[in-house]
Amino acid sequence: MRNDLRRLLDAASAAAAEASWVGLRRRRTSAACYSARDGAFDQAIGGIDDGVMVEVLFDGRFAYAATPDLSTASVARAAVSALACAKAAAGRGVHHFDLSVRPATKLAWETQRTRKSPVAPDGVFSFLIDACGALKASDEVIQTSSLVEAGRYDYEIVSTNGADIEQSIHYLGTSLQAVARRGDVVQLRTANGPRGLTRQGGWELLDVETLLADARRTGQEAVELLGAPTCPSDRRTLVLTPDQMMLQIHESVGHPLELDRILGDERNYAGSSFVKLSDFGSLQYGSKLMNISFDPTIAGELASYGADETGNLAVKQLIIEKGVLVRGLGSLESQARSGVPGVANERATSWNRPPMDRMANLNLEPGSSSIEDIVGSIEKGILMRTNRSWSIDDYRNKFQFGCEYGTLIENGKLTKTVRDPNYRGVSSTFWRNLSAVGDAGTFAAFGTPNCGKGEPNQVIFVGHASPVCAFDDVEVFGGGK
Amino acid sequence: MTNDFKARFDAVTLRAFGELLRGERAAINYQAELSSYTRFNGGRVRQSGTVEQADLGIKLWNGAKTYQVQLALSGDGTVDDELVAEAIGQARALMRLLPDDPYQAVPEAAGSSDARYSGALVPEGEIPARVLGPATGMDFTGLYSQGLICRAAANSAGARHWFQTETFLVDYSAWLPNGRAVKSSYAGRDWSDADYAARLESTRRSLQNLGGTEKVLSPGKYRAFITADALNEVVTFFSWNGFGERGLRQGESAYIAMREGREAMSPKFSLSQDFSLGVQPAFNDDGELAPERLVVVSKGRLENTIVSSRTARQYGIAANGAGDDEELRSVAIEAGDLPEADALAALGTGVYVSNFHYLNWSDVQSARVTGMTRFACLWVEDGKIIGPIKDMRWDESLYNMLGAKLEAVTRERHLLVESMTYERRQVGGSLLPGILVDGLSFTL
Repeated sequence: MRNDLRRLLDAASAAAAEASWVGLRRRRTSAACYSARDGAFDQAIGGIDDGVMVEVLFDGRFAYAATPDLSTASVARAAVSALACAKAAAGRGVHHFDLSVRPATKLAWETQRTRKSPVAPDGVFSFLIDACGALKASDEVIQTSSLVEAGRYDYEIVSTNGADIEQSIHYLGTSLQAVARRGDVVQLRTANGPRGLTRQGGWELLDVETLLADARRTGQEAVELLGAPTCPSDRRTLVLTPDQMMLQIHESVGHPLELDRILGDERNYAGSSFVKLSDFGSLQYGSKLMNISFDPTIAGELASYGADETGNLAVKQLIIEKGVLVRGLGSLESQARSGVPGVANERATSWNRPPMDRMANLNLEPGSSSIEDIVGSIEKGILMRTNRSWSIDDYRNKFQFGCEYGTLIENGKLTKTVRDPNYRGVSSTFWRNLSAVGDAGTFAAFGTPNCGKGEPNQVIFVGHASPVCAFDDVEVFGGGK
Repeated sequence: MTNDFKARFDAVTLRAFGELLRGERAAINYQAELSSYTRFNGGRVRQSGTVEQADLGIKLWNGAKTYQVQLALSGDGTVDDELVAEAIGQARALMRLLPDDPYQAVPEAAGSSDARYSGALVPEGEIPARVLGPATGMDFTGLYSQGLICRAAANSAGARHWFQTETFLVDYSAWLPNGRAVKSSYAGRDWSDADYAARLESTRRSLQNLGGTEKVLSPGKYRAFITADALNEVVTFFSWNGFGERGLRQGESAYIAMREGREAMSPKFSLSQDFSLGVQPAFNDDGELAPERLVVVSKGRLENTIVSSRTARQYGIAANGAGDDEELRSVAIEAGDLPEADALAALGTGVYVSNFHYLNWSDVQSARVTGMTRFACLWVEDGKIIGPIKDMRWDESLYNMLGAKLEAVTRERHLLVESMTYERRQVGGSLLPGILVDGLSFTL
């Protein structure tokens, strides 16, 4: 295929001869999604998307034109359009860019997969219907739903300075949900949150035995929550499992450290950051137990890749080391604009949107405490599992998050289940109160496939891995009007 | 790709229906656009470009089997013909492996419509200068988008619907060095330099309220005037866990208590789906038409829900032209009797909420929502603006905000057009008043 793209690059380059650089970024997506509800067929959807973005550099300004028509004439027209956009912005660019932000990387990269051949739709539905049966823990479960989504993204990038990149990303996700009702109380329980079980890999990820066990537990816990009291309202030690830590990291560490937010690009939409450019290298972001890594190299985590979409090679980087902020989540463009060290994270949702700063895999490194040690050391606390609500201010400071399932911790022991557990706090204070970090035995990775950002808007795959963690002195509360 | 999307839609529709075998039926939906985007930061251009795209959705039924396929069309007739034919062939083979669809709802609607709205847009080469020129001296940030948007649907029963509009939108905010900002927008079909300049002047005047020291509020209950712009963020919660019939029946809706008569909203609150707003078509992806106006909440009581044909089939009730997602479209909240000019006086002492940010359910079954204040939210004493507030988190049940605590609704309403651009430029909008709430719960 790349031979075709090189031919198209020649056409684009000839059409935009005044440009100092031309790049083509093609992305082809194929995806399938199957779902069942209450043990019966609900939906079966397949899809294919394909197109190319032509990007030009003219007088220090990038501009783009995207088209799904992969003919030579169409790509040449797109190049002309992109050049016209770059010219129209003469004297008004945010920065004078050069080719240092478009490296001439040569790379082939593909998701590691054990089982490449897909399970046939009848096999998938057999699992989905069984999963609904497993979720139906009792007659009080009024709705069960199960879903499998699988697909691949194929990227090809070529440029006039020699970039030649081909990446294939394969993923599979499972969602399991039970809704239970007793009188006026309704409770929803999922297996690790909506789409949390989305990972890179092949069809080995459809591990039926494990998933059916998850479904049984999910249904039982939905029913258990019906009889549980609501979460108390007070301040106590909060313990979070990895399927909530992924959200905590995402919202209160990932987004505020994106350099494009700090540079102001997102102020009109997703928001800015409480972090300043001058904070890098010195800000005590969290307690000394806090080590955050940007790591697109972990096999199976949802946002792994070999290079970002400008060709910057992906490597693991520590972002926060012993609680100190050392590096930003900023691409080569943002690094050039800010002077702050960054990572390889300029990514786009598809061929029709320009790349920008993204999180990729952002993880909290394991510590040394077992879950028993953590719980055993807490006199008054609560353990919360599985995100169900997320809200944070536009500077990424004041947050309120909710979980599906809570368990009180009293005198070093897990005691009572509580429903509708929520907590709120301020990012910088919260992370400085990080008092325990679980060991590798508590570590798990989950996907956040729906991270929204950018103007025009983009949604993208992000991965987060974390151990169980404890935070001191957190305001917690329950539901109700 | 040419911009003759209608001809392309007709051609692929002809191809798709022509490929069907005896016993097969289909519905086709289509979204296409030619868009220009220019993103600004600090009064300068961050990113700019153009996007051409056309997407086709085919829902195919054969016997008790149902399958959907989504395709990105290239715009080349020969290529797309092959793409559609191949997709139908693959769907046909795959459908045999699916379980029966117990709630299959094959559309029987056979109506047609054709609505086209042309615009006078800014020449692409002039966009940065025409947008930034009048904003000189402002820390201007946001997105300018413009171009043709098309939506269409057709089905085997004979329905054929077409909607196209040429629009522009400047979705922007202007910032002070202290980090405070005013959010605004200028949207329409016919660009006017004078109207745009007037909008920016209004923004400049509003910025003058934000220069002072921020008032830091303690958590507690406050009187609040919530503008139409802020209320627009709440509109999402009429769809997400909202008034869809399926969610109400299956435990996911926040309004089950309202349905069962355990809760109500204020007699001052009425909510409709109203396609007479003219911002989006009334047909759904299967070519079914919704009524021009559907009252959902009347004087605080649930009157109608949003019902898709699939849900109707499952529960033996009547559908009302909803899409499979049963989202509320073209939302209109009924006006009240508070003149907008008297809003500050009616507020007395409290918070003037210009904008909300990042709302989410904090407890679905109590219809409780949390969110932040954002942009130019002001502290008001005795009807006079004192200055900006430090942004606050709030957490309140909609049964309170739109119920017992709803004190007044403004006489004037504002048409707020859809600004989202996920996957494509969205169509739609809401006609909303401002509301006065007594005792909004601020928490952090």
